[in-house]
Amino acid sequence: MRILIILAALLGFSCTKKIDLNEKVLNLSVTAEIKGMDPIYANDMYSSNEVARVYEGLLQYHYLKRPYTLVPNLADKMPTVSKDGLTYTFKIKKGVLFHDDAAFHGGIGRELVAADFVYSIKRLADPKLQSLGWWLLQGKLLGLDDWRKKYAEKDKVDYTEAVAGVKALDKYTLQFKLKKSFPQFLYALAMPFTYAVSKEVVAKYGKEFLNHPVGTGAFILPVFTQSNKIIYIKNPKFRDKYYPTDVSEEFNTPYYLADAGKKLPLVEKVVVNIMKEQQPRWLNFGKGRIDVIGIPKDNFEAAVTPDRSLTDDMAKKGITLIKNVALDVTYIAFNHDDPLFKNIYLRRAMSLAYDPHAFNKLFNNDLAMVAQSLVPPGISGYMPSYTNPYVGPKVEEGKKMLAKAGYENGVGLPEIIYDTSSATVNRQMGEFFKKQMAKIGIKIKVVTNPWPQLQEKITKRKVQVFGIAWGADYPDAENFLQLLYGPNRAPGANGSGYDNPEFNRLFEVSSLMQDSPERTALYEKMYRIAAEQVPWIFGVHRQNFILRHGFLKNYVASDFDQGSAQYLNIDLKKKAEILKKL
Amino acid sequence: MATEQQSKSLWQHAWETLLRDKMAVVAMIIIFVYMAMAVLSATGIIVSDWAAEVGPSYGAPSLDHWFGLDMFGRSVLAKTIKGTEVAISVGFIASLLSLVIGVTLGSIAGYFGGRVDEFIVWFYTTFTSIPNIMLLVAITFISGKGLKAVILALGLTGWVSLCRLIRGEVIRHKDREYVHAASAIGGGNYRKLVKHILPNVTHIMIISFSLQFQIAIKSEVILSYLGLGVQGRPSWGIMIDDAKLELARGVWWQLGAATFAMALVVLAFNILGDALRDALDPKLKGK
Amino acid sequence: MNLYVYTLRRLLYIIPVLLGVCAIVFFLFSVVSPDPTLIMLGKHASVQQMEELRRELGLDRPWFIQYLDIVKSAFTFDFGRSWSTKQEILTMIKQGAIPSLTLSLPAFILSFVISITISLFVAFYRGKILDKIAIFGCVSMMSISSLAYILFGQWFFGYKLGLFEISGYEYGFPDFVPYVILPGIIWIILGLGPDVRFYRTILLDEIYQDYVRTARAKGLGESLILFKHVLKNAMIPIITYLIIAIPFLILGALLLESFFSIPGLGAMTLNAVNASDFPVIKAMTILTSVAYIIFSVITDICYTLVDPRVRLK
Repeated sequence: MRILIILAALLGFSCTKKIDLNEKVLNLSVTAEIKGMDPIYANDMYSSNEVARVYEGLLQYHYLKRPYTLVPNLADKMPTVSKDGLTYTFKIKKGVLFHDDAAFHGGIGRELVAADFVYSIKRLADPKLQSLGWWLLQGKLLGLDDWRKKYAEKDKVDYTEAVAGVKALDKYTLQFKLKKSFPQFLYALAMPFTYAVSKEVVAKYGKEFLNHPVGTGAFILPVFTQSNKIIYIKNPKFRDKYYPTDVSEEFNTPYYLADAGKKLPLVEKVVVNIMKEQQPRWLNFGKGRIDVIGIPKDNFEAAVTPDRSLTDDMAKKGITLIKNVALDVTYIAFNHDDPLFKNIYLRRAMSLAYDPHAFNKLFNNDLAMVAQSLVPPGISGYMPSYTNPYVGPKVEEGKKMLAKAGYENGVGLPEIIYDTSSATVNRQMGEFFKKQMAKIGIKIKVVTNPWPQLQEKITKRKVQVFGIAWGADYPDAENFLQLLYGPNRAPGANGSGYDNPEFNRLFEVSSLMQDSPERTALYEKMYRIAAEQVPWIFGVHRQNFILRHGFLKNYVASDFDQGSAQYLNIDLKKKAEILKKL
Repeated sequence: MATEQQSKSLWQHAWETLLRDKMAVVAMIIIFVYMAMAVLSATGIIVSDWAAEVGPSYGAPSLDHWFGLDMFGRSVLAKTIKGTEVAISVGFIASLLSLVIGVTLGSIAGYFGGRVDEFIVWFYTTFTSIPNIMLLVAITFISGKGLKAVILALGLTGWVSLCRLIRGEVIRHKDREYVHAASAIGGGNYRKLVKHILPNVTHIMIISFSLQFQIAIKSEVILSYLGLGVQGRPSWGIMIDDAKLELARGVWWQLGAATFAMALVVLAFNILGDALRDALDPKLKGK
Repeated sequence: MNLYVYTLRRLLYIIPVLLGVCAIVFFLFSVVSPDPTLIMLGKHASVQQMEELRRELGLDRPWFIQYLDIVKSAFTFDFGRSWSTKQEILTMIKQGAIPSLTLSLPAFILSFVISITISLFVAFYRGKILDKIAIFGCVSMMSISSLAYILFGQWFFGYKLGLFEISGYEYGFPDFVPYVILPGIIWIILGLGPDVRFYRTILLDEIYQDYVRTARAKGLGESLILFKHVLKNAMIPIITYLIIAIPFLILGALLLESFFSIPGLGAMTLNAVNASDFPVIKAMTILTSVAYIIFSVITDICYTLVDPRVRLK
C-alpha cells in the first residue's frame, strides 16, 4: 500500500492525457468487439454501425423524421415500382466516388456505378463466403437462389453470369425483380448487408478485405485493426450531401437545426472506443472522454431522479438526458418441442406467476413498458389498448391454472432448466425468474452459458426455457411476427419452435401485403393469438436512457443508428468550458 | 519399528511446534469456523432462508443487516455465509482430487521407475506446458456448468507440482534401509509403497493440500468472472462479479463482504501452510 | 554425462512434449468441443449453410489429418483465421503482442526489483518484528482477489482522484505510458506477495549455509555478507524462477487487459473464450506451451552450466 501511494504521488501529475481541443473529434464507445469491416458479415448492431460509417447503401432512414422514413441515399430518388409490385427500378446518384485506394487505377477512387450494386448483392449470396446476411434475400430475388446453389458445388463462383433478379440496365440504372411480393424489400436496401463495395478492392485484398474498407461514405478508415479503438477521418471528397432541413415536429428546435443545410460531415474525426466493461465506460463518460453513453442500469440513480429527470449534479455539468423507446421485446421462450410445454395451462400458469412489473423495476429502473404481446409500440400491429389476461403478477390465478394443468402446487412437475447467457445481468434475470416461479411451486434451475453455446443449445433444441430479446432489423411488425412462424423454426429465427397452423396461415397472407389497414388488421389478429396462446412469457419493451455531454450537437437516439455520425457536431468552445467542470 | 517410533515423535513434535505458533492457532480456529459454517449451511441449520427478501433493493449496511442488502433485497451477510459452502466444498474436494492424482502418479513413477516413470514424467511435463487458465476453460467448456465442473477443472489442473515432489521423495526413500528390510521380510510392492514409503511423505501432502485449498478458492472467483463458475447459488465469485456493476453506484458492501470473507480464509490457509512447513519439513527446521 | 550429449537429449525431448501438447489441445478443442458452424453462422443459420461451412473449414476430413494440422501449426505458427473476427490469427498475435509487452515487461522488471529489495530487507531483519509484519503483509495482499484490486483501483485512483487514465490504450512511446501505469501498479501488487515470500525463502536458505557462518566468523559485516555472498549464490534459483515466468508474459494479464481495454493478447484470449473462438484459443495455448518448453530447456541447460551436479540427477 505504501509503495502504491508513493508511486502514485510521484507519477500522478503527468499520468493523464490532455484532450485536444483544436479539432472536432467525436468520441463514441461500443460495448462489444467489432468483427471486421465487411458489410456481408455485419450481423450485429455494433459491427453494422461501424461498417455504415465507411460504406453506404441505396436508401437510408431520414435522420430527423419519426416514424422512421426511408429516403434515398446513393439512389437519386425513391425507386419506381411496377404495378404488380415485383419490379423495382433505381436511378443512382452520379458523381459518387469511392475512397482513394491502391486497388484503383492510379490510387484514385473511381465513380460508383449500378454494376457495383449487382456485384455487392451477388457477393451477399456467394456460397463460398458464408455471408451472415443471406437470410435477408433468400428466396426473394429472381434467379439469385439458383445462382447460389449452382456455385455451391463448384470450385469457383462466376460473378459474370447474369442473374435476372438484379441487373444494371445502364451505368446509372439498377433493376431488381422479385420472385414474389416482399413489402419489406426496401428496408433490406437500407441495411448494411446490401451496401456497395467495389470489386477491385475485394480482388486486391482477398481475405484481408475485411481490414481494408473502401466505400463511398463520409468517413475513411485506411486500415482496420482489431484493437481497442477505431479512428475514422473525414472523407475530403465526400459528395455534396447536406444536413436535412425538413424535420419532424419534435426535432424542430435550434439544437437540431443550427446546422441545417450545411455540408456533411460536420466533424474531422470519429474515434470509436471499444469498452466492454461497464465501470470504465461510465467513468470515462464522467471525465468527458466519451461524448454520449447509454446509462448502465446500476448507474441510474447517479444520473436520473425518481421523477425521470436529470439529477442536479449531472445537469450542472451540462449533461442532457435523452429517452428513446426501443423497437424490441424481451421474453422468456418455451421450447415447444418439449412435451411439457404442449400443455397450454402450464404456459399460462407460468406467465401468470411471472411479474414483469417487478422485473421492470429491478432491471430497467421501471422505465420499460410491460409487453402484452410481441410487437413493440411505434409500429403498426401494436395494440395500445390491449391487455393480455395472462400477464402477471396474478399469483392466485397462476396457482389455479397450474392445478388445471395437472400439477397442483407444482407436484409432479420436474425441475425446469432456464438457460441464459453468462453476462452478469442475464444471470441476475435468471435468478429473478427462479424466484417468481417459486411463488406457485415451480422449481427452476438457472444455467448460464457463453453466448455462442447458448445459441447452439437453442438451435439444437437442447433447452427448456430461455431468456432472450429481439431487436428490430427494420421497422415492420413482420420482423417480430416471424419469430413465431412455424417454418422459421431453429436454426431459423423461431428459436422456441412454436408452430400454430392458424398463425402460420395469417403470417403467410400478410407477408405478401403492402402496408394497408387490412394488413394491420391481420397483424393485430396475430398479436392477439400470440398473447393468448402464451408461446413465450412476455417481458418488456425497453426504453433507452442516454446521456450526452452539452458539447455534442445534433444527437438523436435511434434504433437504426447506421450512418448517424456524419450528422453529429462538436462545439469546441463549450467543450473547453465543460471539461473544466468535470 | 524404529522408524515408526521416530515418525511418531516427529508428528508429536510438529504438533507442539504448531501450537506454540499463535498465528497458526488463530488460523486453525478461523478455518475451523469456516468449515463449521459450511457444514451448518449445507445441512440447512443456518441461512437456509438466504434467498428471502428482507428489505429494499440495495439497502445499505445497518444494524439490522450488517453487510447490507443486494439487488433483490437479500441479506449480503446470509449470502456470504452461504458462499462458504461453495468455497469450502470447491477447495476441499478439488484439493483432495489433486492430492489423489498427484500422489498416485508421483509414487508410481518414483517407485517403479523405468518406462512407467518416463511416461508419467512426459505426461506432467506436457501438462505443465499448457497454461492453467486454458485447461480450466477447456474442462469447464466440456464438462458443462456448475459446482461439479468447477471442482473437476480445479482438481484436474492442480496435481502437477505435488506429483513432482512425491516422485522425488519416493525415489529418495525407496533405496533406504527400511524399505529393503521390508522386502526382506517379503513385503510386496504395494505394501512397501503404501505402508512404508507413503507415511514418510505425508508432510508434503499436508502442506500441498493446504496450499491447493486456497488456490482453488481463489480460482473459483476467476471462473465465475468468466461465466464458467458455480450456478444458481451464492458464491463469493458471483458476488464479486455482481459488484463490478454495482461499485460505480456506490454499492460497495457486496464486494467488501465477499472479498473480506475470501481474504480471511485464504490468509488463514496461507499462514497455516507456512506454519505446517516450518513444523513438518525437517529441511527447513530451525529457521 | 557429457554436456553436449545432455544438451542434445534435452533438446530432443522437446519433440515428444510438443506432440503431447498438440494431442491435448486437439482432444480438448477438436474432439469434445461443440460444433463450430453454429457459432459462426449465428441466428439465421440453415442446415445447408452449416454443411458448406464444415467443408470450407475442413472439418469433414479424418481426425489424424486434423491432428497433423495442429502439429504443423506448432512449427509454422500458421494458425489460420479466427472464427469470430475472421482475422489472420498470426497477425492478431503480432498486433496484440505490443500492448501486452508494454504492460507486462516494465511491470515484470519493476516487480522483480521491488520484490528483491523488500526480500533482502526482510532477510536482513529475519525473525524480527519487521520481518513478521512484512511477511504478514505479503500474505494478506495475496489473499485478496485480483478482481477486487482492479475494481477498486480503477474507481478510486482513476476516477475519484483522477490520477491515471481510467482505461484505454495508445500505440507508440510515450503515448502508451499513461494507460499502463495503473494496471502496471496492480500487476506489481498482485505479484509482490508470492515473489517476496519466494525470494525470502531462497535467501534464508543461503544464509544458513556454512560459508556464511565462515564469513561471519571472519568478521565480515552482515550487510556485506548479504549483498555480496548470499545474493550472488541465491541468484541461480532466482533467475530460474524469472526465466520460467517469461513464457506466461505472452499470455499477458487476462483480467487486467480486459478491464483496462488494453488490446493485448490477454484480452484477445478472453474474447476468444467468450466467443468460443477455438482457433484463437488453440493458437494461444500452443504458443504459450512452445515458449514454456523452450524456456524450460534454456533454464535446464543454463543450470547445468552453472552447477554440473544437476546433470547427474
